[in-house]
Amino acid sequence: MAKVTLENVVKTYGPVTAVGDVSFTVQDGEFVALVGPSGCGKTTTLNLIAGLIPISGGNIRIGDKLVNDLDPKDRDIAMVFQNYALYPNKTVAKNLAFPLQMRRLPKDEIARKVAEAARVLDITHLLERKPRELSGGQQQRVALGRALVRDPRAFLMDEPLSNLDAKLRVQMRTELKRFHQDLKATIIYVTHDQLEAVTMADKMAVMNGGTLQQYDSPKNVFDHPVNTFVASFVGSPAMSLVPLRRVVEGDAVALAGDGWQMPLSPANARKALSAKSDTVILGARHSTIALHDGPREGAVPGRVYTVEPTGDVTFVQVHVDGAIVIASLAPDVAVRSDTNVWLGFDQSRMHLFDCETQMALT
Amino acid sequence: MAVSSGPVTGSLRRDDGLLRRIVTHRADYAYVLPALVVMMVVIAYPIWFTVDMSFYKTPASLQLRDRTFVGWKNYHTILTAPAFWSVTLNTLIWTVASTFFAFLLGLGAALSLHREFAGRAVLRAILLIPYVISAVAASYLWKWLYHSDFGVIGALSVQWGFTDKPINFLDNIHTALPSLIVVNIWREFSFAMIMLMAGLQTVPEQLLRAAQVDGANAWQRFWHVTAPHLKGVSMVTVLLLMVANFNSFIVPWLMTGGGPAGASDIWITHIYQIAFGRQNWGLASAYSVILFIVMMCLGYFYVQALTRGDKGRPE
Ligand SMILES: Nc1ncnc2c1ncn2[C@@H]1O[C@H](COP(=O)(O)OP(=O)(O)O)[C@@H](O)[C@H]1O
Ligand SMILES: [Mg+2]
Repeated sequence: MAKVTLENVVKTYGPVTAVGDVSFTVQDGEFVALVGPSGCGKTTTLNLIAGLIPISGGNIRIGDKLVNDLDPKDRDIAMVFQNYALYPNKTVAKNLAFPLQMRRLPKDEIARKVAEAARVLDITHLLERKPRELSGGQQQRVALGRALVRDPRAFLMDEPLSNLDAKLRVQMRTELKRFHQDLKATIIYVTHDQLEAVTMADKMAVMNGGTLQQYDSPKNVFDHPVNTFVASFVGSPAMSLVPLRRVVEGDAVALAGDGWQMPLSPANARKALSAKSDTVILGARHSTIALHDGPREGAVPGRVYTVEPTGDVTFVQVHVDGAIVIASLAPDVAVRSDTNVWLGFDQSRMHLFDCETQMALT
Repeated sequence: MAVSSGPVTGSLRRDDGLLRRIVTHRADYAYVLPALVVMMVVIAYPIWFTVDMSFYKTPASLQLRDRTFVGWKNYHTILTAPAFWSVTLNTLIWTVASTFFAFLLGLGAALSLHREFAGRAVLRAILLIPYVISAVAASYLWKWLYHSDFGVIGALSVQWGFTDKPINFLDNIHTALPSLIVVNIWREFSFAMIMLMAGLQTVPEQLLRAAQVDGANAWQRFWHVTAPHLKGVSMVTVLLLMVANFNSFIVPWLMTGGGPAGASDIWITHIYQIAFGRQNWGLASAYSVILFIVMMCLGYFYVQALTRGDKGRPE
């Protein structure tokens, strides 16, 4: 296994910039999830690393070797595709053997490696079947096996679980994580599902519009999003974002809405003062918001819009100053729509963003 | 799973008799009845008529009242005449050679046109011309190209020193059939090209990429991914070409009329001569029946090729 380094990688299609100036390093044995909404350039980035499309600018290194102009087969990486891309006319055994055959390994060694990969992935009983005779999960495993037999320097996976049903997806998620731990494999894993990324990855690379927004551990991305995009993309339900007015009276700084003010703690006041304009975006995750049925010191008035019980927790959507804020309650607490509530924001865990740049204020 | 029964949902047990099924589904059958009647009139009746006539000796006048029943005599005449075997051999050579080379050239053209290059659209349009041009026009065009006095091909072969004097391609028993086959290939490779180009567009990009990552070179990608994917469309193309070639008439008839000395005579031109030249309708009918049986066999394989994909699917 090896580390993978991207330096100022650019890919343009005529006037369209699919990937613009992306840099990050995946350490040897690290599991990195590349996340972002559809069309943000994830697949393009992965294809660039694999060498399937020519790079427009920047450098890609696998290990210490510059691979910009290397053919995919010489990069020694393995890839798992969204719809598995198994060779439909070949049996499972032949599918697994294919990358080894292409590398002209001796027959007995191929047989040994195929048997070993099949054993690891528990697909030995499927070896003589054709791909169309397999279920989605089994096909997925074969695709993984085809990547595994070769002992590549890195695994690239493009939404490998997105064609599976929800239950199987959760199960395969666990298996993939286990697979990573056992093999200490370098894995770059593309997904548009932030939950997959958060649960499996050592690091997340959050992309939007072809550029890298944040590259950090899932915990840091979750706790310290660098901008409003990352804040609203990571976490479910999404972080609530409310644009508010900044009010400064002497040393005291407060955020003001329609007929109410929320005084800010000294730390938050400092952040708010660094904003370029008088509008500051308040961000808060549901778990950091307390819901009161009467006015409180520093609490913000709102009106309940909908109540969504999920069993474990009940999500309450509250209208605050024209925006929706999602708070949560224990399932046994009753709230009704169209009643007035007061929201207590946890000052130590709230986020403030500059309205002009959308960047987190620090 | 719940299975509802009743005439509308069409759930049937396999042991239901045809009559019973018709009664149960009478509305469905009523809808297709007009089409069935038309088909009977325009297809079944002529077939029956031809089969019937193949057992008679008919007068040239086509006064069918005067025909006499001769049993299998027409068939016996055909199968014992030396002409039959030479015509059959010509037909086989014509069909197999035309189909094989038209397919091969079409495949080459489709693969070349599949990748991006400057002028691709123009080249594609040019290569489609043989397919859209009428067979009559093509026949006369090639007749001029082959012409012993004015033809470009003869002139070039002299200029390049292949021959001393222009060959009379269409009037030579050794070159007549091959010359016709060249024209036919020229006309038909376009068709194969279109079919295979359509097929190539459905080769999953991800499979090719997977093969590339797995270390396959361009030829290996073609052999392991593209070729298996094109199998279905190739079989259909080859069968359609074979049927068309078995039934070819315009090009051979207009260019050589089966000559010289039957050197380029194939079944259809031969039947045409017997029927409309010698006006021996009974014999021509018998010939047609034999051809019909061969065509039915090809048709059977064609349907098999078309439905092959459905059978392989899992439940
Ligand atoms: N071959 C191409 N030609 C032109 N634009 C492309 C091509 N491939 C991708 N793009 C564009 O690049 C952007 C990123 O695409 P992609 O990497 O597939 O997104 P993702 O995988 O994140 O959904 C998209 O806006 C897409 O339209
Ligand atoms: Mg994608």
